[in-house]
Amino acid sequence: MDWLQHPELLARAQFGFIAMFHILWPPLTIGLALILFGLEAAWVRTGQVVYYHQTRFWTKLFLINFGVGVISGIPMEFSFGTNWGPFSTSAGDFMGNILGFETAMAFMLEAGFLGIMLFGWNRVGPKMHLFSTGMVAFGSTLSAFWIMVANSWMQTPAGVKLVNGRFAITDWLAAVFNPDLPYGFGHMFTAAIELSLVVMAGVSAYYLLNRRHVEFFRPAFKWAVVALFIVAPLQIFIGDSAGSALADTQPAKLAAIEAHWHTNKPGEGAPWALLAVPNQAEQKNDWALEIPDGLSLIVTKTLTGQVVGLTHFKPADQPPVWIPFYAFRVMVAAGVFVAFMAIWTLWMLWRRRDRMSAARIGSNKWLLRGWLLAIPAVYAAVEAGWMTREVGRQPWIVYGMMRTSEGVSHLPAGTVLWSLSMYALFYAVIGIAALVFASRTIRKGPSFDAPPHPPTLRGSRATAPYPTAHAAQSPALAGSAKLAVEGGQ
Amino acid sequence: MELSNPQQLHHVLATVWFLIIGLFMVFYVVLDGFDLGVGVLSLFAGERRRSVMMASLGSIWDANETWLVVIGGTLFGAFPLAYGTVLHGLYIPIILMLLGFMLRGVSFEFHELSQRKAFWGAMFGVGSLLAAVAQGFALGGLLAGVKVSAGVFSGSIWDFVSPFSLIVVLGVVAGYSMLGSTYLIIKTQDEMQTGCYRRGRLLAWIMLGVGAVVTLWTPLQYPAIFARWLTTPNVYFFAVLPALAGLSFVMLLRALKRRAEVAPFVWTMLIFLFSFAGLAATWYPYIVPGSVTIDQAASDSSTLVFMLIGIGMLIPVMITYNVYQYIVFRGKVDAHAEHAY
Repeated sequence: MDWLQHPELLARAQFGFIAMFHILWPPLTIGLALILFGLEAAWVRTGQVVYYHQTRFWTKLFLINFGVGVISGIPMEFSFGTNWGPFSTSAGDFMGNILGFETAMAFMLEAGFLGIMLFGWNRVGPKMHLFSTGMVAFGSTLSAFWIMVANSWMQTPAGVKLVNGRFAITDWLAAVFNPDLPYGFGHMFTAAIELSLVVMAGVSAYYLLNRRHVEFFRPAFKWAVVALFIVAPLQIFIGDSAGSALADTQPAKLAAIEAHWHTNKPGEGAPWALLAVPNQAEQKNDWALEIPDGLSLIVTKTLTGQVVGLTHFKPADQPPVWIPFYAFRVMVAAGVFVAFMAIWTLWMLWRRRDRMSAARIGSNKWLLRGWLLAIPAVYAAVEAGWMTREVGRQPWIVYGMMRTSEGVSHLPAGTVLWSLSMYALFYAVIGIAALVFASRTIRKGPSFDAPPHPPTLRGSRATAPYPTAHAAQSPALAGSAKLAVEGGQ
Repeated sequence: MELSNPQQLHHVLATVWFLIIGLFMVFYVVLDGFDLGVGVLSLFAGERRRSVMMASLGSIWDANETWLVVIGGTLFGAFPLAYGTVLHGLYIPIILMLLGFMLRGVSFEFHELSQRKAFWGAMFGVGSLLAAVAQGFALGGLLAGVKVSAGVFSGSIWDFVSPFSLIVVLGVVAGYSMLGSTYLIIKTQDEMQTGCYRRGRLLAWIMLGVGAVVTLWTPLQYPAIFARWLTTPNVYFFAVLPALAGLSFVMLLRALKRRAEVAPFVWTMLIFLFSFAGLAATWYPYIVPGSVTIDQAASDSSTLVFMLIGIGMLIPVMITYNVYQYIVFRGKVDAHAEHAY
């Protein structure tokens, strides 16, 4: 257990741990906020109460998820200063500025309208409420954009030069729109949407499987699957483009991801290893299951295209191979699985309508179980994707310009071990509690209370501090009561 | 002022950012101050009252805490050297503060959903107290000096602990509880409100005591400050802020006595404002007291300008939607209303 005495490894372990915990939550916040905006907009436009109930149900999950996302995000921002002081001092001109933009433009926007979105149903009119939901969705997406600007810049630093150990910015536009940004943000944003749709489909599948609230969750299931039919293949395409781009921007990372040690000779293709036992000490794979010319084909789209191997770099400049290699394969497998599920389910909905009818949909056991499995799969994909991205960047904190070892604060190992243990303890409690509450909320199911006001009432505003929403017997309420009876267990 | 001189321009920009971050600090300390203060007070309340207390914060705690995140981001961008050294030097209180935030942040939702209300209610109180104590240590440690040499923190990780910082902790916890009490006076009624008036007097006196200690200790510890404060004409300017804080204190006691609803919060807020202005005026142009000036710590002028365009313009917008949120949720908390759905 040498690393327990090693301050730099401890600092990396801590950042890796808090980042891996944090990234479990924001994707659902980002994607679900957009879905909620769509559902609420449908309610405001059509006045159909089913959209209102859908909005309220998914908001419950959003709320549990959001709180954990916020509180686990704050330590990330502060750990730049606490654990990566020299990096912060050196790269603050860019990194700090961008994080400042993120907090002031995006995070505050999200926080400023969140209270109204969650607790303001009785306090503002339907249009204002919809606007607030929209601002939360926009704020969280914008937040993801700025965070990915900062992270992409660490992968492909552009528009800067090192002057006396500090990154001086020579070209702002080039630094913000650095080469990795379109791939980094595109891949992460699409992941957020995909993950949220899978959660929507998976949770709906749970109810369908148990034949509870079928009338309520069958539409939600269908919406999510139809959207995923487009989003999941799109994500595979974006991911493939991102991988090919690495050949130009971060060839060492690409070589590590593929456990590709030797640059292929001109006229010969590079093989693609499906599985391998990489041996970094001897700079080769001890064993590999390979597809000839596969890597050249994937990266360059030709059979003999050149792909730079790891031995092209000094061992001191090589990233570790095991984690990027296997994490990448987990991510790809999960992504392909979700795309397969979406295509299969859509085909069933299109060609086997009788089997997917409200009465019979619950008997498609394997299909629905597949969607339950898709939930952990997408979360694993997000985690694995980030591991690939960040471990693959090593040994650099700013790729090619500043080493991770140069960026770390010189704290006593015991102090970092203490903070890492405290984070581990707190996150274990919080993570488990959030899962328990989320599963309890799901088990409880949706409620079918009447909306506080009809959506068409222009600019209506409740005057009493806490009006009783359930008193009036409106046609909408009658409709929802019917729905509750049908959907009841 | 000669702005065509790059150094002069840099100094002006750094000063502007010093003031902006100071403004954010005041927003944060007042807003999250009452938020954390209500949490501290909840430790002494039963479950029924605690539910009311938590309901009074449910819709706004996230926005309040976000001011700290904004301070973090802007400090990182505008004064990277201060960010990279102060947070390193104050490692332990900062981590404790973050852990406290975690506990209290998740407690809002978990308390609502859980059957173990007493547990998550206690976590809310403990988390709030932990965050307030940690902030007190951080402030005390910062004022007592964070050693920086050659661009890195060069002190010990335990420098933040001293008798002085313990007194500052007391002041911060009392001050936040004071803000919390006066906020609850606005948001509650009947016996809960009465309790807040009663407690307010005691907390006000503790705040005054700590303010006096910091005011006397600072010039004794730092001869340069002593000279700066007590030379004419500086002494007149520097006397204004404590005088205004003292006046606000008297007005606060009067407002508590005549059981005004909004005035006690406003006067407490002004005490914080004047105290902060006093600290800023005392230490300017240092951003890390006694060791790093704003010019040394500040980013390049181009970054400061870029940030001013991106963030400076947004300050009125941020204030607007924060104010709007308070307007939407104005009025007394209804103890019987379920806060969420």
